[in-house]
Order: sequence, then C-alpha cells, then structure tokens
Amino acid sequence: MPLTSVLLLSMALFCIGVFGVLSRRNAIGILLGVELMANAVNINLVAFSRFQGGVVGQVFAVFAIALTVAEVVVGLALVILLYRSRKDVRVDEANALSG
Amino acid sequence: MNAGNALFIVGALLCLVGALSTVIARSPIRAAMGLLITIIGIASLFLKLSAQFLAAIQIIVYAGAVVVLFVFVIMLIGADTSAGPPKSGGSVGSRIVAGGGMAVLSGLGLLLLARFDGQPVRFGPAAVGHGDVEAVGGLLFREAIIPFELATALLIVAVIGAIAVARSKARPRPAPPESHESKRLFHGPLHPRDAQRPLSKEPAE
Amino acid sequence: MTFDVVYGLSPLLVVALGALLLMLAEAFGKPNPQGLAPTGEVSDAGAGRAGELGMGAAVVLFVGAALSLGVWLAGPDNLVGLELTRPYLIWDRFTVFVCFTLCLGGGLSCLLAGGYLTEHEIDRAEFFPLVLFSTVGAMALAAAGELLTLFVALETMSLGVYALVGLRRTPRSSEAALKYFLLGSFAAALMLFGAALLYGATGRTDLAGIGQAIAAIGQGEGPGAAQVLIALVLVVVGLAFKVSAVPFHMWTPDAYEGAPTPATSYMAVAVKTAAFAVMVRVLLIAFGDERLTSWASGWPPVLATLAVASMTVANLVAGRQSSVKRMLAYSSIAHAGYALVAVVATIRSPAAEGSILFYLLTYTVSTAGAFGALILCGSRGKEAVSYEDLAGIAKRHPAAAMAFSLFLLSLAGVPPTAGFFGKLYVFQAAIDAELYVLTVVGLLNSLVGAYYYLRVIVFMYMREPAPGATLAVPMRSGYVASALVIAAVLVIALGVLPNVTLEWAAIATVGRS
Repeated sequence: MPLTSVLLLSMALFCIGVFGVLSRRNAIGILLGVELMANAVNINLVAFSRFQGGVVGQVFAVFAIALTVAEVVVGLALVILLYRSRKDVRVDEANALSG
Repeated sequence: MNAGNALFIVGALLCLVGALSTVIARSPIRAAMGLLITIIGIASLFLKLSAQFLAAIQIIVYAGAVVVLFVFVIMLIGADTSAGPPKSGGSVGSRIVAGGGMAVLSGLGLLLLARFDGQPVRFGPAAVGHGDVEAVGGLLFREAIIPFELATALLIVAVIGAIAVARSKARPRPAPPESHESKRLFHGPLHPRDAQRPLSKEPAE
Repeated sequence: MTFDVVYGLSPLLVVALGALLLMLAEAFGKPNPQGLAPTGEVSDAGAGRAGELGMGAAVVLFVGAALSLGVWLAGPDNLVGLELTRPYLIWDRFTVFVCFTLCLGGGLSCLLAGGYLTEHEIDRAEFFPLVLFSTVGAMALAAAGELLTLFVALETMSLGVYALVGLRRTPRSSEAALKYFLLGSFAAALMLFGAALLYGATGRTDLAGIGQAIAAIGQGEGPGAAQVLIALVLVVVGLAFKVSAVPFHMWTPDAYEGAPTPATSYMAVAVKTAAFAVMVRVLLIAFGDERLTSWASGWPPVLATLAVASMTVANLVAGRQSSVKRMLAYSSIAHAGYALVAVVATIRSPAAEGSILFYLLTYTVSTAGAFGALILCGSRGKEAVSYEDLAGIAKRHPAAAMAFSLFLLSLAGVPPTAGFFGKLYVFQAAIDAELYVLTVVGLLNSLVGAYYYLRVIVFMYMREPAPGATLAVPMRSGYVASALVIAAVLVIALGVLPNVTLEWAAIATVGRS
C-alpha cells in the first residue's frame, strides 16, 4: 500500500474540515470542522511514523489528541457562555472575517 | 486485494462519508454523528498502519469523550437553536469563501502529491512491536517526559478555564419584587455589605 | 547538579507552584463579604478577594522575574545538567531574557487586575491561576526547542487567554471570546498540519534536527522540498495569527475590546512576546537553511510583506477609532509590525535578535503601563472608553493624565523614553541588514502613529468636556497605582540608561548554526 494514498486521504479530510470551518455559521459546526482538521493531522502523523520507522510520530499524535480535547473543553464552555447571554450560537462570520 | 487493503478501503470510505456529513448535515446532532463515523474510520486506518495503541486511544478519547461532549452541549442548548435557518445572502458568500479556501488547500495538496509521483513511496514491513503500548509508552515516559509534564499544565488550564467561563448563576440571591428600600433591607439577603453600601447601584442622575 | 537544574528552571517552577497555591487559597480561603459583587452569582471562597489574590499572583510573577535575573547572572551555560532538558526545553540566555519580560508583563497585569476586578465587581478569582498557568505556557513556549513542547506550550498559553477574554460575560465579550477561540484553534490546526508535514519530510521533531535535515534536502526538487515549503507557509500563518500581524489580525480589536482591561494588557504583552520568541527560534533554527533565509526563495519577503501591511493598515485604522481601548489594540498590531521588521533583519544582521528582545521589553512596559493608565482613568459606571471621556482629565486628575501621557509618548517613540530606544535599535538592525525600504516604511509609520497617541494627550490636556457629558472619574487603587509606578520607572530607566539592558539583549541569541 503506498504512502501517497494515505496522504491523499488525510489531505481530503483536512480540506473538508477547512470547508466546514469556513462555511458553517454556528459555532458548534465550526468546532466540528476544526476537529476534522485535527484528525487529518493525526492520520498524517501515524502514516509518517510508520513510514519513518520510529514511534515519535505516534507520540506526537497522542499529544495532538490531548491538545484537541483540551481545546474542545474550553470551546464548548465558551459556546455555553455565548448561548446563555444571547440564546443563539451563530457567529456572524462576515464580521469574524473582516473585523 | 488482501485483508489489509480491504481494511484501508473501508476505513477511508468511512472517513470520507463521515467527514462530508459532518460539514453538510443541517442538524448538529447528525454532524456530530458524522464525526463519530470519521473517528471509527480513522481508528481502523490506525490498525492498518500498525498503531494499535493509538487506535484504542482514538476510540476511547474521541468517540467516548469528545463526541459525547459535543452531543451533550448540543442537547443542552437545544438542537434547534444551534442549527438555525441559513440566512439568505450571508451563507452564499461564506460558501464562496469556503470553496476558495478549499481550492487553495487542494491545490497545495496536489502539488505535494505530484512531487511524490516520480517514485511510488510504499510502506516497508513494520518493525516488530511498532506502535504497541510498550513502544509508545517507553518514548512518552522516558524521552518526552518534559512535554508530558507540561501537558498537566495544559489540562489544568483547560479545566479552570472551562469552569471560569461556564460557571452559572446557579444560586441567585432572591431579589425582592419591588425596589422599595425598606422592603429590600428586610426581605433581601441580610448581608453586612447592605448596611454600608447604597442599595441602588445606579448613578444618582 | 540537581540544584543547578532546579535553580535554572526556577522561574518556570515558581510560577507553576504559585498558580497551584493560588488555586488552593481561592478554594479554601474565606470569602470577603465587603468585596462581594451584588450580582447574585454563586460566591465561592475566593470571591471578593480579587485584590489580595492579585497581589499574591503579582508577587509570584515578580519573584519569577527576579529568579530569571538570578539565572541570567549565574549564566545558564554554567549550570551543570541544565542541558539535559534539551531539546525539549532550551534554557539559554535568550529564553531567560524572554522569561524576565514575560514575568514582568504578567506581574503588572495581575496588579492591574487586583484593582480592576475589585472596582468593577467582577467576581472572577479564576483570573489569577489562569494568568499564571498561561505564563507557564508562555515561558515554555519561549524555551521550546522541539515540536511537542512547542504545541503543548502554545495551547497552554492560548487556552488560558481564551478563557480570560470571556470573563466579562457581556454578550459582546462572549462573542469576541468565541470568535477568538474559533480562529485561534483554526490557526493552531493549520500549524499542526504544517508540523506533521515537517516531521514527514525530515523524520525529526527537534528544531535543530529539522534544521539539519532541511539543509540536507537543500536544493533538491524531491517530495521533501515541497513538504517543507508547505509546512513553512502553514507555520508562518499560525505564528502570524498569534502575533496578530495583518492580515491575520481580524480577531484582535474585538478580543482586546471585549476582554477585561487587565486581560487585554496581558494578551498584548505576554502572548505577543512569547509568540515572537518562538517565531525567532523556529525561523532561525528549523528554517535557518541558506536557501530558506535568502530573499529570493524563503520566508524573508513573506515576513517583510506582513510587517509592512501590519504597520500601515494598523496605523491608518487606529487613527479612525473612537474607543481608546480599540486604538490601543490597533497600536499593538502596528508594534507587531515593527518587531517583524527586526525578525526579517535577523537574516543578515547578527544584532537583530538582541534588538527584538530589547524592543519586546520596552513594548511590554509601555503597553502594560498604557492599559494601566486607561484603567486608572475610569471607575465603575464611569469608565474611560472614548476620547471624549478623557477630555480635560488633566485638570481633574493630573497624576493619571501624566502617567498616561508618559506611556503614550513611549509607545510613540519620543526620545527620553524606553520606546524610542526600542524602535531605534530595531531600525538600526534593519539598516545593518540593508533593508532600507522596510526602514523607511517603519519610520514613516512611526510618524503616522504619533498622531493618534498625541490625540489622546491633546484631549486630556487641551479639551474641555462637553457640558452635560458623562465624565470618566479616575479610580483609587493602590494596586493600579503601584503597577503604574513600576512601569513608569522602567520606561524612564530604559529610556535614560538603555546600555546595560541592551548589552545583555545583544548576547542573548538563539545560537543558530
């Protein structure tokens, strides 16, 4: 099995994640897109680790998982905060992008 | 086609289907379920790439914790509020931006793959014990002990941050129905502060 | 040897331990009924004690700064066994200098918070452990010589800051915090993908090893070279987001405005300082290859474009703001632009690294002071928000106006202050590196920037408040006042006697090959 096909898959997942982040209007949808991107990174790390022959890439993936989980915790807390104050979690991304 | 390749193809299909439904589904619950499918697909890919330990972690942490947390929050704030009808106009613009961003990234990816094309890069046979708990744990606790210790700070920050941000107004002090001063003194919470502070916080003018 | 290692790492360890102790103090202390906010929220044990907790946090951070100074005097290279932490943490003079700056900025922000949270009745004692842990992450980030440490430290710093922005809980600040978080985690994911490609291309995760492997890949047209280029782009985007360089700055004004002002001050000084430190290390060690540092085929033109865009856009937009806090947010973007000029200059001038460190130190004291003065000028219900709020404040409260003017002059780069020498050495390094266009653009921008800083001073000293307008009433707080005194002394000291500090900054290099 070639490395290229795994890389292609992870690239596809990453692009789908980016699409999700940019096209979603509600915060949870954007966060799900970021999750997809992080998972694509994990595939890459594991594939490279298998290819290079060490397990450093896998340890990197363990840390990447920890990072994403910590991020999700804070992110969802912020979502709840916004919901409490506005009863709505849609982020106006026209505003977010132009600022 | 042998069993290993079949595992890869099934895993890849699960990933793609799940990812697409994550970004396209209208209902946030369905989107979260799409993420779940992606995660299961990735776990089977990890098995194929001889990362057994990570496959287990992936299922336990992502499927068991992250997706559950997502579903929990979606249920807490109500599935309807967070979906929202697509507003006319704004959504089209964001789709164009999104499509553009994706096109740029895909271009970069194709560039990357085109460079690989000359020599087909294949996986060699895996080393014995590659990716089992012993190998990963050994590296994690012997070599990478400093980032591991730092990760404790990361987790504490995440916990304190989440508590600080999401802490609710769980025990509102009972406020009297009207703001007549004498009533408030007696019906409100009897606190030493009330004796010293002006009752009304609004500026006098 | 053990003692040496512990002593060497003591700034990091003290701040982490202090954060744990503060958490315990908050959980098991007695609530102070005098300071309770009448908001009807759950009152935990630390409620109403923002002042004392802030003092504690500031003491911890100042002890961290003092220990950094001690480690500097002992010399990190002389401490036996400290090199064992490599490559995960590279504890060299560069790191120690940045640690000092970070502790100083964090300590000043905590002192400001001690006054601000009490005055504005924000019962959020979690503020202080968050700042301390975030500073731990920032210090580790400055020291990170390896991708694992780098990402863990980066997220530790960022997660704390995301939570800090949301602490004010108004709808606007919650939305700013969520946007900042979403954009930040998006940028982090991009950077993580870049790091994965880097690992794939080189098989290494330590920056020095990556640098050697990239040099070996060299001129080749193989798969490795393309991966390295894409990784470089993604990493630069992620770092540019953290230092809020244009066009990755869109979160900055909202997040800075929505956050409680001490948190804004912390974000402006500590996050930016640590991000610049790691940017210098990553670019010079991992991407320090001749080909990637050349003007034709590497990162210098990209960073130069970011620098010019940051300075120009931020300065033009800052002049049009009506909120002083937003103006300071844009000013911090412009300052990121000046520092980026120095980062570009590192390719040809060996003195540029020192000029970045010195610049970050002067920026830290001036910016923390400016936000502190803004806090001092307002009190609950009578905050200083717009220029008009500050009109004529010099007559009512000359000390506050004087302090604010001093820090604004330093930010503008007027001679006897710290900011002047910060800018001077950055532009000197740029001229050394023969970056004449960048230098000219930077100087022109300094002139444009002076306009909006001076406008605040004009309002404070020469305008009369409109009849019937609500006026900002300065608050009284020993914490804020002491923070301002410390910052003012440093601004003047660095402006009058920059030599010692500058000599120190000059020998604090990242040791590129």
